[in-house]
Amino acid sequence: MRRTRYKPEIKRNQTFALNITSMTDMFTILLVFLLQTYNTSEVQIENVMGLRLPSSNTEKNPVYGVKISLSQDELKLDQTILAHVKNNEFESGSIDNNDSNFIKPLFTALQKINNESTSKDKLGRILFQADQELPYATLRKVMYTASQAGFPNLKLVTVAGN
Amino acid sequence: MAGRYKPNINHNSEFELDLAPLLAVMVKLVPVLLVSSAFVQMMIIETELPQVVQQALAKQDINPKVTISMEIDKKQGVNIIVNEAGNEKIKQISMLPKNEFDFEKIHLAIQEIKKLHPEIFKIEFNPSADVSYKDIVKIMDEVRKTKSNDIRFPVKDEKTGQLSNTDYMFPEVIFANTLEG
Repeated sequence: MRRTRYKPEIKRNQTFALNITSMTDMFTILLVFLLQTYNTSEVQIENVMGLRLPSSNTEKNPVYGVKISLSQDELKLDQTILAHVKNNEFESGSIDNNDSNFIKPLFTALQKINNESTSKDKLGRILFQADQELPYATLRKVMYTASQAGFPNLKLVTVAGN
Repeated sequence: MAGRYKPNINHNSEFELDLAPLLAVMVKLVPVLLVSSAFVQMMIIETELPQVVQQALAKQDINPKVTISMEIDKKQGVNIIVNEAGNEKIKQISMLPKNEFDFEKIHLAIQEIKKLHPEIFKIEFNPSADVSYKDIVKIMDEVRKTKSNDIRFPVKDEKTGQLSNTDYMFPEVIFANTLEG
């Protein structure tokens, strides 16, 4: 005798309720985490490609200022490349012949900002993002030129945490 | 006489809370927060450059007797110099065997100096050319605040004249050798 194959009984009109409790739990945890990381700072600083900021335990939020970034390859003012860097040295054309610490394009750009700017820019503040591996000799050139151009308030941008 | 109506309440009954609207709100909120969240939080360290001559002089005038400075060198280590009315005291902290700065000793030394001069909040940094930015920031962290929960430094409120305590040591850092050739 041939055996008949088992056929489960399917009720075509049956409805079911999806249990979304666990999904709600997951979303609640995610929401709390995202609310915690939500940035309330008035100034947004974007990460610069190829630049690793040092970490610090400072608790001060960024303030308004002219954004200068110095990576292993280039010096930028906002998104504009001002000078190229190779082996921790600025390219010879960008350095003044009589003063080895003076970066000509940076000075010109900052002076232009000083002349054209609104009162906010005239605070003389610089938000300085520099690569953590750069030596002080390279950083000092930027600091020196910035102060010569009338920007003596230097804010070193760091990553939060130790 | 008609009896008062008593609704039939079954205390053992169960009901399911409708979580669908809550989930709908969360599904909308999560992408918004994902976009606007900053996973890498950036902070700033405030420094002054020595060119702010007038401001710096004004601060020095308040307490002209004591200046604290730090010479940071990749080979020699750290020299903390306390200049008290022309009389210099130098505390040297050598490098660790792997040519790393001894941050713990730097912190303890600075803590002791702060205990002696609680009214000073400014320190001058003189790093050598080859000191990395990472090490400078780390030393700035070490001198900014005390890590000990038991140690606090007295500070006088200029308005009320009352003494309060702070965990800040030297939050004002000046790069003193920026102008040097």
